[in-house]
Amino acid sequence: MSATTGYFVAGSSWLHRRNPITKLLGLAFILLAAFLLPPIVLIVLAGAIVLAIWSAGLLRSAARAMRIPALLLLSILVVNAFFFPGATDKLASLGPLSITVEGLTFGLISAGRIVVAFLASIAFLFTTLADDMLEALNARGASYRISFVILSAVQMVPRMQERAGSILEAQQARGLSLEGSFGRRLRALIPLIGPVILGSLVDVRERTFALEARGFGARPGRTAYRVVADPPIDRWLRILTIGACVAVVVIALTGIVR
Amino acid sequence: MTTASLLEIDDLAVGYPGRSAAALDGVTLHVRAGEQVGVTGRTGAGKSTLALSAAGFLPRVVRAKLGGRVTIDGIDAATAAPAALLGIVGIVFATPANQLSASKLTVREELAFGLENLGVARADMDEQIDATLVRLGIAHLGEREPFALSGGEQQRVAIASIVAMGTRILVLDEPTAQLDPAGTIAVAELLAELSRGGSAVLCVEHDPNVLGRMDRCLVLDAARTVALDRPGTALAAAESAVELRAPTLVRLALAAGLDPAGAFDEPALAAALLARRAPTTAATASVDPDPPASPSWAPVRDRDPVHVAIEDLVHRYPTGIDAVRGISLTIEPGESVAILGENGSGKTTLVKHLNGLLRPAAGRVLLDGDPTDRRSVADLAGSVGFVFQNPDEQLFERSVEREVGFGPRNLGFPASTVAASVAGGLAAVGLTDQRATNPYDLDLSRRKLVALAGILAMDPAVLVLDEPTTGQDADGIAMVGAVVEAYRAAGRSVVAITHDMEFAARFGRIVIMRSGVVVADGPPREVFSPAHRELLASTGLTPPPAARIAALAGLEEVPLDVPDLLAALDRR
Repeated sequence: MSATTGYFVAGSSWLHRRNPITKLLGLAFILLAAFLLPPIVLIVLAGAIVLAIWSAGLLRSAARAMRIPALLLLSILVVNAFFFPGATDKLASLGPLSITVEGLTFGLISAGRIVVAFLASIAFLFTTLADDMLEALNARGASYRISFVILSAVQMVPRMQERAGSILEAQQARGLSLEGSFGRRLRALIPLIGPVILGSLVDVRERTFALEARGFGARPGRTAYRVVADPPIDRWLRILTIGACVAVVVIALTGIVR
Repeated sequence: MTTASLLEIDDLAVGYPGRSAAALDGVTLHVRAGEQVGVTGRTGAGKSTLALSAAGFLPRVVRAKLGGRVTIDGIDAATAAPAALLGIVGIVFATPANQLSASKLTVREELAFGLENLGVARADMDEQIDATLVRLGIAHLGEREPFALSGGEQQRVAIASIVAMGTRILVLDEPTAQLDPAGTIAVAELLAELSRGGSAVLCVEHDPNVLGRMDRCLVLDAARTVALDRPGTALAAAESAVELRAPTLVRLALAAGLDPAGAFDEPALAAALLARRAPTTAATASVDPDPPASPSWAPVRDRDPVHVAIEDLVHRYPTGIDAVRGISLTIEPGESVAILGENGSGKTTLVKHLNGLLRPAAGRVLLDGDPTDRRSVADLAGSVGFVFQNPDEQLFERSVEREVGFGPRNLGFPASTVAASVAGGLAAVGLTDQRATNPYDLDLSRRKLVALAGILAMDPAVLVLDEPTTGQDADGIAMVGAVVEAYRAAGRSVVAITHDMEFAARFGRIVIMRSGVVVADGPPREVFSPAHRELLASTGLTPPPAARIAALAGLEEVPLDVPDLLAALDRR
């Protein structure tokens, strides 16, 4: 992940070519459907997302990214399968512990929702440049200042990570030991976190001045250099997605499908 | 008939809230179109305040009480509307990465950022961007990612981003402080190009390589103007008025009885020195051979010297690229070694192996014959002290004294030794009177000295310094030099990475790196000799000024300072 492009994976697939707002709406639809509709829908959603990721040539990157939530998913599954409160329908026993049908079902559904949400989010992040998102939101009347600040904050993450690495090195070189008792490790956090905050404040001052010198937010009537593609089909896709979102909410509220 | 001034600073006085001393007091400076004016002086003299005033940041962006007047292209800065100065004046600071908007994919888009804020029509942007890139000689960078550029390239892009907005008055606050020699010269040449195009340039600097190229130079001391003249003349006047150590070339001209105004024209200076018939012995005697006496360091405990051996060291990045490609070096106790080379040549990667911050892909590091591969960084910290380039990545305590005591406490020194080490460390960097100050209330150059004191107090057998002189004024450089010498003399060893050739010339030994290997290793007189000129050039380096003048004068010897050079000329 780089300081400028974040999670973006360069490419020109059909998913890359969609307008950021279209993709944002699509993401919203998937999240609504995953959490509001009956769990059986998760299978369809997951299949569709994987297909989309595969057709955009991002399967390998997505598989790599899945390593991040893998442990979380596994623990959700295991904890629920063994310790679901009030479950009685035992499937198999392992000494004093038993896997219950209720627990396993609940674990699978929870994990499935997280998988779908995560895959949809990375499909969005992999194919959308933060700057395009910024311009697209701005073109739709969102405050450029606020969008820019949010974008900058997101882009601070890799910078902070790099910085945290340097701080760790510098303090270890001053004899800071990260081993020993819990209390000792806890105390070791102060010299590590202190410079992250204090040093960033120094940076922020200079960065603020630099933005000021470039006229950031000084005048109304800002223009845009980046042209964010918005093919005609995106317009129809957006109408369709908004309609689908409304449908999901209506279905969930009225309980037509259970 | 004089050209009208684009920037007029008249009788400027600045005071910051909560501080009794004035930041500037009665400073007057006019900068004409096509003129480059340098600003220099000690740390805390008011240089940055002058830069911020000239850019119209006071009192609009930074709160301050102003007296006098700052007129920027006819607009009174005190009453200007927030957007009125956009596209008229711009400012660039020292840290390259902080000058960029941080969100742009290409240099072109980075340049467009200012145009967007000005509201320039999309159809006109490309033309304006192209014109700027071509004019500043960086068209080849147009499609590159700003964050992937070198520091020198980033600073040129930052300047271009300001210039693209149509800005004719450019203010810079130590723009080359973090650049290597090649990057520094590239920025200086770009400023010259801008002034030829009719821009007014005001540049705060310590580096004589940049100051010497300015048309005029303003020297500030304690908030007041000391001198304002051609660079050589102004720097010479400042030395006699406020003992601000003048650059070597100026001191050389003065010692030889020449007009310091021409000191930065090196071929002319060399010719004048050769043409001079009068013996220079009298003049030589008046030249102070060493930097002014400064507080120095003395050990507070006995420790055994440590012998360092690096054997066939290879370091490979996760990307598979070898940053260090087979280096063998030994460093004896009592030795001082300066490591030179362009950014990216592997210098920092190499020295990070000395205290285990990095582990070799092949080869090994031995301290007194024992391999370091199984020892932790915290354990090695007692033997090898490492002072990082950026102090803001380690300072966290509420007082300078506590900060300096952090390392010795970690090493488990008894309380009395901690106190003595802290006192010794602070005295060595001249910060004894700041012991109760919060480190972040000091400026960057003094925060760097706090970080240095923090390692000195740990009394390691090997002291490793990464760019210890960046941002330091002449006094600060002399102080760091004195620490290096005192440390070495106490039987410890010092390894320093530096871009400052004059600082490097004080070391007993110089190692030059290029693309991950050592290409030269020897005493300064050997490494800086004319025989090595092409090798030096291939690494973006030039010999220190005295050696350059000697080479221009056709001398065989390689003098490293002014008395040396004058003596060599006499012997001719």
